[in-house]
Amino acid sequence: MNLERIMQVDRRIIYLFVAAGTILPIIFVIGLPVSITPPTQMAFDRIENLKQGDVVIVSFDYGPSSAPENAPMADAFLRHCFSKRIRVIVIALYPLGGLSEAVNELNKVVAEFPDLKYGVDYVNLGYKDGAQAAMRKMNENIHEVFPTDVQGTPISRIPMMKNVKTYADVKLCVSLATGIIGEWWANLVNAQFGLPVIVGPTAVSAPKYYAYLEAKQMAGLLGGLKGASEYERLVVDKYPGLAKVYATPGLYTATKGMDVQSIVHLIMIAFIVLGNVVYFTGRRKPRKAA
Amino acid sequence: MRKQVPLLLTFFAGIIPIIALFVPEKHVNTVSTTLDSWLIIVAGFALLLGVVNVIQMNTNKIRRKSSGWPYAIVLLAGLAIMGFFGFAGAFNAFGGIATRPDGSSTPFDWLYQNAFLPLQGTMFALLAFFMASASYRAFRARNVEATILLIAALIVMFGRIPFGEMVTKWWPLTTEWIMSKPNMAAQRGIMIGAGLGAASMALRVIVGIERSYLGLGKGE
Amino acid sequence: MLVSSRNRIFSLSLAAILLAVIPFLVFSARADGQPPPEQAGSTQIAEAAPAVESTAVQPPAVQGLTAADTPSDEGGSVTVEWTEPTNAVQLGLTYKVMRADGPEGQYVEVGQVPAGESEYVDAGLTDGKQYRYKVLSVVGPGVAESAPTLPAFPRGNWFRTFRLNALVLLIVFSGSVLFYIARARGGKPIYIRKIAGLSAVDEAVGRATEMGKKILYIPGIMSIDEIQTIASLAILGHVAKLSAQYNADLEVPNKDPLTFAAARETVREAYLEAGRPDLYREEMVNYVTYDQFAYTASVTGKMVREKPATNFLIGSFYAESLLLAETGQSVGAIQISGTAEVAQLPFFVVACDYTLIGEELYAASAYLSREPVLLGSIKGQDLTKLLLMLALGLGVILESFGLAYVKDAFRMQ
Repeated sequence: MNLERIMQVDRRIIYLFVAAGTILPIIFVIGLPVSITPPTQMAFDRIENLKQGDVVIVSFDYGPSSAPENAPMADAFLRHCFSKRIRVIVIALYPLGGLSEAVNELNKVVAEFPDLKYGVDYVNLGYKDGAQAAMRKMNENIHEVFPTDVQGTPISRIPMMKNVKTYADVKLCVSLATGIIGEWWANLVNAQFGLPVIVGPTAVSAPKYYAYLEAKQMAGLLGGLKGASEYERLVVDKYPGLAKVYATPGLYTATKGMDVQSIVHLIMIAFIVLGNVVYFTGRRKPRKAA
Repeated sequence: MRKQVPLLLTFFAGIIPIIALFVPEKHVNTVSTTLDSWLIIVAGFALLLGVVNVIQMNTNKIRRKSSGWPYAIVLLAGLAIMGFFGFAGAFNAFGGIATRPDGSSTPFDWLYQNAFLPLQGTMFALLAFFMASASYRAFRARNVEATILLIAALIVMFGRIPFGEMVTKWWPLTTEWIMSKPNMAAQRGIMIGAGLGAASMALRVIVGIERSYLGLGKGE
Repeated sequence: MLVSSRNRIFSLSLAAILLAVIPFLVFSARADGQPPPEQAGSTQIAEAAPAVESTAVQPPAVQGLTAADTPSDEGGSVTVEWTEPTNAVQLGLTYKVMRADGPEGQYVEVGQVPAGESEYVDAGLTDGKQYRYKVLSVVGPGVAESAPTLPAFPRGNWFRTFRLNALVLLIVFSGSVLFYIARARGGKPIYIRKIAGLSAVDEAVGRATEMGKKILYIPGIMSIDEIQTIASLAILGHVAKLSAQYNADLEVPNKDPLTFAAARETVREAYLEAGRPDLYREEMVNYVTYDQFAYTASVTGKMVREKPATNFLIGSFYAESLLLAETGQSVGAIQISGTAEVAQLPFFVVACDYTLIGEELYAASAYLSREPVLLGSIKGQDLTKLLLMLALGLGVILESFGLAYVKDAFRMQ
């Protein structure tokens, strides 16, 4: 029966449609509009309210596998901070690839702000093992947790770190996370030491973070690729000079990624609705005797 | 003795971080953070154990020519090549394991960027396809709960993309409401329950009542 | 819930007493943050010192200057507090905190505090040494000096008083668990509700034996310091014993080396206990790789090639949960999953036949072994959950009237 065949459709047909929905919007860019949600707005306002010279930690708690979601968030935060001349301490706590992501993204964004000086406006302190232990210890002495920066320079010789020793000297931490490390920033560092925290998790983990956001343990939340695209839009609206950067052809941005996500969502919704229509029609038809 | 020592170690390893939470005394905190470091060191040695096991199993497979044995050769070759360049890089041969100062890639870094990362990304990308087939199969309005699930899923999926706002401005607002109220309440409920369950399990392990993870059975 | 009516009355009375006592304890602990009367000369009421001669605005001096050991810390710190003059912020005052080391020391500046704040925590001091403090109110060239405090002696404290509520909850929780364990040891039968996933374990292992195919047990991807992994190993022991009894083919691929070592012991002991050590083979428990997706590729490949009859996906999972579950579903295996990772539960629910949600995973070892002592701990945990639910309900009602007692009692610092 025709309907039965649709119900049991070979999953490879579904995969084919999803593949088309993933590849075509990348080739033929659509440019769908982006609407802002409150959690992203909160994150943006929090950074927007910081002053020039304030110190912010940006923690790379993700690896290459979730880079398509987390890297645009990292870029957007870094561009926002550098546009406001907020000083940034970059660290990495994710063991498999966190450091390489930190190095790549930082170098990429810093190249767009040629008047920034390493060690004065930003620093990369590298990777530290044992995330939880490191996060706890940073409350007592950041210099002990990161005795050198990523290039091996002793931290005592880095100008901007002279007066930054504990969380009390830092205004905010932004964690770009996949997995549990982002949660630890919210339920360990913020809960026990009071440091305001913004987390940019992957979309699959984002629902969990709403609990922390509502409990005011987080100052903002960027839920997955959508959150990243919203933040990009906010940053470009506020700092039009960045629009040129985001319009670079061939550059992967969250907004471009959202086009793909939107189309794939539509395909999945279509299949779900089709499946239910077929299911209900099949139930209504009188059963023919075998 | 064989069972007393692990149980005693478990007791101390469990009770010290709990004490450190309440007692600010310097030495307690030192012991607690040292324990954290020891875990990392022990895990490093266990990794050696794992690698030995991998090599053993795959050489056996090749020797016995069991099904799929050519792939065992590929696996061992991969292990050997990456391992060699990684070790050599640790002693600064070939320029190390990251990119060289002039921007060119060391062999280890090249393999990482051009073989390892694309493979990892491919596996993660499979999720999109599996999610489509899983949701097609599972989101059928079979009963009341399944119908509520279906409607909530459709609202959130549509509200997350620009088309939702194009239809009506209430759609993304409803999506946000579902995410931040019922979803968050359910997540909190599960988190609290799981937290209590974990605490109960931890208490059993620390006190020594739960021993199955040590391989000790009933009454041992 | 597991409690009978007599126990219900007991529980409710206990809850009422605790809910009355906890806020009292918390608030009195906060009051105890003030230096205790017997501490050597730590308080001194400062009088307004004569202002320094100047033609500019004369700032008022601070009043009520006190210096005392910082409570609930590991030592080496003194907290200096004062009462600000009422127009401090309008005048744009800055406070300079001066410290003198020892009875003969000179005063030096150790910190500056803007108007609007009336506290300074001086750290990095030596325990047991004497320190005296003064605070200068400064605006422009005008300076007003407070009278000095009596000596303060920093010392390490033995208890973080602001975590008293956590300690009380810990005692209540441990107390109820240990109480019910003791009762269970005394032979009292304990009821636990049916958990579908765990009741299906026997059937799942039997299915694999009948079909002559493999059982694949995946103990999650985290290490043994994750409590879900320990819970998973408890279930693995049970599954291994069953597969020894039924002579089924079991395989346990591991991502984490510590879990691998522990799982090997668990399976070996289980086969020994079942009386079939001859059936145990070293290759049953193997180590794959430390990378999350390489491990997933290996396991899903194994599923597609060898088509296991039964999959157990029990433990802590992250992004690979759907990859594993959906592949298992596509090859027709019966799948029992269990995790406390809230984000992955929907994927397991959709693709697996049975899912253990959160605490059901932790209750599994008690459920499967039916040991009274373990069942007793489940009951104790349920009692604490009941108390928490009552506290939540009470808290919601009080909050609706603007009374924050319960919320403050549960605040964790």
